[in-house]
Amino acid sequence: MHRYVMPGVSRREALKCAGAGFGYLAFAGLSTMAAESSNPLAPKPTHFPARAKHVIFLCMEGAPSHVDTFDYKPQLGRDNGRSMPGARTRAARLLGSPWGFQQHGQSGLWISELFPELAACADDLCLLNGMHTDVPAHPQAFLQLHTGVSQFKRPSLGAWTFYGLGTENENLPGFITIGPPQNNGGPANYGSAFLPAICQGTPIRTAFGGFAGGGGGGFGRRGRSNSSGTVSNIRNPRLDRDSQRTQLDFIQSLNQEALRREQHDPAVEGAIESYELAFRMQAEMPQVMDTSDESAETKALYGIGQQASDTFGSQCLLARRFVEAGVRFIELTSRQWDHHTNLREALPNKAASIDKPIAGLLQDLKQRGLLDETLVLWGGEFGRTPYAQGDDGRDHNHRGFTTWMAGGGTKGGFVHGATDDYGYEAVAGKVHIHDWHATILHLLGLDHERLTYRYAGRDMRLTDVKGNVVREILA
Amino acid sequence: MSRWSMRIALYWGMSLAGLGVAAPALFAQSGSEAERMAFFERHIRPVLVAECYSCHSAQADEIGGGLTLDTRDGIRQGGDTGPAVVPGSASRSLLVKAIRQTDPNLQMPPDKKLPAEVIANFERWIAQGADDPRDGEAAVARKYEIDIQQGRQYWAFQVPCDTVPPPVRATDWPRSDIDRFVLAAMEAQGAHPVADADPHSLVRRLYLDLIGLPPSPDDVSQFVALHAQDAQAAVAATVDKLLENPGFGERWGRHWLDVVRYAESSGQATNFAFPHAWRYRDWVIESLNADTPYDQFIRQQLAGDLLPAEDERQRAANMVATGFLAIGPKSLSERNRQQFQADVVDEQIDATFQAFQALTVACARCHDHRFDPIPQTDYYALAGIFRSTETCYGTIRVVQSNHPSPLLELPREADATQPYPPLTAARRELIERQIESQQEQMAELTSRDQLIRRIFMASRVTQLRSQLDLYDGDGMPRPLAMGVRESRQAADSPLYIRGEINQPSDRVERGFPQVLTVRQPAIGSRSSGRRELADWIASPDNPLTARVMANRVWLHLIGRGLVATPDNFGASGQPPSHPELLDYLAVRFVQDGWSIKRLIRSIVLSRTYQLSSQFDYENFEKDPENVLVWRMPKRRLEAEALRDSMLLLGGNLNLQPPAGSLVARGGEGNVGFRITGDPAATETNRSVYLPIVRDQLPEMLTVFDFPDPSLIVGERAATTIPAQSLYLMNNPFVQRQADGLASRVMQASEDDVERIKQAWLLGYSRPPTDSEINLALKFLDDYGVQHSVRATWAAFCQAILASAEFAQR
Repeated sequence: MHRYVMPGVSRREALKCAGAGFGYLAFAGLSTMAAESSNPLAPKPTHFPARAKHVIFLCMEGAPSHVDTFDYKPQLGRDNGRSMPGARTRAARLLGSPWGFQQHGQSGLWISELFPELAACADDLCLLNGMHTDVPAHPQAFLQLHTGVSQFKRPSLGAWTFYGLGTENENLPGFITIGPPQNNGGPANYGSAFLPAICQGTPIRTAFGGFAGGGGGGFGRRGRSNSSGTVSNIRNPRLDRDSQRTQLDFIQSLNQEALRREQHDPAVEGAIESYELAFRMQAEMPQVMDTSDESAETKALYGIGQQASDTFGSQCLLARRFVEAGVRFIELTSRQWDHHTNLREALPNKAASIDKPIAGLLQDLKQRGLLDETLVLWGGEFGRTPYAQGDDGRDHNHRGFTTWMAGGGTKGGFVHGATDDYGYEAVAGKVHIHDWHATILHLLGLDHERLTYRYAGRDMRLTDVKGNVVREILA
Repeated sequence: MSRWSMRIALYWGMSLAGLGVAAPALFAQSGSEAERMAFFERHIRPVLVAECYSCHSAQADEIGGGLTLDTRDGIRQGGDTGPAVVPGSASRSLLVKAIRQTDPNLQMPPDKKLPAEVIANFERWIAQGADDPRDGEAAVARKYEIDIQQGRQYWAFQVPCDTVPPPVRATDWPRSDIDRFVLAAMEAQGAHPVADADPHSLVRRLYLDLIGLPPSPDDVSQFVALHAQDAQAAVAATVDKLLENPGFGERWGRHWLDVVRYAESSGQATNFAFPHAWRYRDWVIESLNADTPYDQFIRQQLAGDLLPAEDERQRAANMVATGFLAIGPKSLSERNRQQFQADVVDEQIDATFQAFQALTVACARCHDHRFDPIPQTDYYALAGIFRSTETCYGTIRVVQSNHPSPLLELPREADATQPYPPLTAARRELIERQIESQQEQMAELTSRDQLIRRIFMASRVTQLRSQLDLYDGDGMPRPLAMGVRESRQAADSPLYIRGEINQPSDRVERGFPQVLTVRQPAIGSRSSGRRELADWIASPDNPLTARVMANRVWLHLIGRGLVATPDNFGASGQPPSHPELLDYLAVRFVQDGWSIKRLIRSIVLSRTYQLSSQFDYENFEKDPENVLVWRMPKRRLEAEALRDSMLLLGGNLNLQPPAGSLVARGGEGNVGFRITGDPAATETNRSVYLPIVRDQLPEMLTVFDFPDPSLIVGERAATTIPAQSLYLMNNPFVQRQADGLASRVMQASEDDVERIKQAWLLGYSRPPTDSEINLALKFLDDYGVQHSVRATWAAFCQAILASAEFAQR
């Protein structure tokens, strides 16, 4: 009994070897087959030459304060304690940043002392200081950040990216979200909505269980040191690899019989293909996620092993490994940036948890020559008020905030846009979330007006009917 | 079509509203006309061509904001919102405002700002009279005017005709009128039907299509024996038996639940439980089992509260049916009350018209429908009906949930199912103590910094109170349900310009879409009009109702709708592949008393339905999509049928419906934090009873294309993705069912070949071929080298469950 499909052999080759390919190969030449052979995973041509091939989105859930991090407002410091005209709360007093800012790098970017490591990468950062969004409430703004709208179920940025570009590695999912958000819309933030299901983000869970991933023998559940999460059903809780291969060969031989009988059945062909991909994923996913082959220096670079930065550092390292492996879009979520109270203590802790990991990621990508083709995004759903809430917190502010980009065809050491003297409202170089989306797609070689999917009688877009590419930041 | 996204290019309008038509001011002309024309040619036209024409000219792919700038008429007439250029008045000219970019909503060109001297040139040109040699009519008609009369000519807006089956050449092939329509279309295209299905395929198809479970080996052998004697009698007897099986309602009820976006939570940004939604689910299942006439089924869902009832039980059922209007997704975190209500009404219009009429009426919220003859006034005529209706969906007022509503309380005499046991005195006391304790703590939190803690504690108190509210004074569960009732006051709705709630315009009398009705209803001043709406939709004279449902039924049985866009019969949907057949089915459906079971029966008994899946090269070349239904290709099972089949074979399926739902037992509150474990793995009831929490669906369902329950989905996707393979290979649930199946197979016989045959009958409803027996024996040998006999049979059975054929019908 020969094996019909061998690991590492493409389906088509396998079909040839086994002589079982009557269904597909017999009709492969038919003109009517052309449409059906389109593989949603295959790399697709871009609309124009791409600057970036991969995206790492460092998502800061809860909305980090821009005036304490990347938007230097000396006037706010000078007017500390004064009331602010036009503020939402009448008694609001301006709160100068408790942290000092300094210029860094050749570019002289102003960065707060909260990010000493990241400041060393100033010349790689492209600050968008004129960001704004529609609603100053987490759930709506967080969904808008990911899908463009909050009122309707729409595909997420990662799903659109994967849909537009396909993948470079058919052994892995094209869109991976590490430690995905549970609140503020949860899975809707990495869903595919009406796009093909394969475009949805594959969650790698770190701690939280939830409904999904019902104990499917997740990888790396124990012993977190060399891994940072699990993928649902990626490991067989019973069978070793050889036994499973024997079982899978049997499954595939049954599938081949079915295909031979039906002669033409794309679903069975798809199942045969999907099983081989799944089997390869079982091998490759844990390999990519097993970071034991990384050197001590590399891990130190990401702040792995240090209490503050171990978790996010491990995730950043994972992100780099996924980029190397050809994954198109990787999102990382850092939670609890919602500093209404206890700003002076909590914000430095949060900053410390991501500072070294992100700096390490940028340096590592750069030294491996990957930063040019990898667009790194940093930001939350909005920013925070320049005036205080209580005496040690800041409220939500959607009128002006900061996100930044690095690599992937953006200008390094560059600032685009500005808020007013206090950091309350974007006044120049304004970038709405729709513009941000349009720009990201542009860097990936996709025209946001042409990346469409027909649904409910209409050609849907990530940017709806809006969005302008921020050309000023293109390198 | 998204209403929201249709706030298109409105920047031209916002700033102009209220300005009215500007009277040409006195303006100072300087220089000769020739000089002014030269100025235009040198400084204005090149800029317009370079910067504006790509979106604002007759040559543009899609004209932005209805504005063309390539003729004098066009530029002066302006776009959606008014003149771009008012000769003599730069300040009144929207074009100048746009290029100055002082208004954030009005900035042109979109991606840059023109140099200051260019802007100055435009200002000068306009101030001097905006001389413009460009004759010709503006490319865009003033406004897209909907012609209702002409709209009525569209096929879907005309009442279906009683069509006569066409003659066919192969007169011995058709078994019924349906077959004559199908065959005639095939013959016209030079295609031909393939062979009939073999009895094994057919019995599997019937069971899975009608009750969502595969036949047992006994069912198979009985059917095969009967089929050998009289094939059609065998099919008819089996169909009649299955239509009476409670599994029918569980399977076909789920098809309906897809259409009505059934779920047990609010979804959207914050996700709050709908603990009483399951009553609607059960009502749908019961209605399908009882074969409630479809017109009655519609009336109950839209206006059950207004229908007469013979007894309290029926009254309760009528109330629960209106849950259709209450279970939609809701943005509970929305702060603006008016906005929230407008969104609820919008969702109701959308659901009602897509589910029953396959029309995207909700597109007309912000502007006239772009494709169908549905003016914006039609939308607000309907909005008045729903605004005069009170939607009762429950939820509690806590952080991020700002719009709780009452629920319906069913009459006691109806003896409604209780989803949880009575409240014990001890439990009541415990909850009351917790409330007190929270309140005491809250009283101590006085300073401003403790505000947030106070808010969260108040939420906790509300949550605790809501637990007590589920019971009456005696601790008995109150029979609560979601649904609607008439508002205290009925009123017409204003038309909201661009759908914006702060832009009300004239009131629109309540009524129905004009294109679908010749005579508008007489709606009493004190009633919402919902009853009239229900009667109008549930009428044989409504051109869409019967067609839309007949098409849904056809889709589930044949695998492709006669109209391939089952939720959109409008101009942006697909035309029917067999228009006469669609009308025939619709007319018969009504004549048969709107009986869904009889409709199903007539389709299932056709020769068309009973075709084999055999491939045919010639047919395939002509019709690769099988639009003509020359064969019945195998189809992937839905998530529920797949899971239920696995449970059944594993010997673990509990056919008893559960009382209520897991969500009901959780009570009110945010569901996002509450859910642990995987109910699809631990529960053993049929999958239709799994908790359906928006955005928190059981993994097994989402992996196998369960539709997003925030969307109206008449036809599910059937993807093949690696996550499915991983699930079938590695999930312990699948392995448990394989273990159960292995036990049954091993008990059936001592002989390997007999066991294999039994497994094939259970898994595929057919005996194995010799080649398959050999493959199986080979596997048992290979695998058995290193594994115990039981482990080997378990791995074997898992392979059966994981194979493509098991997941097909």
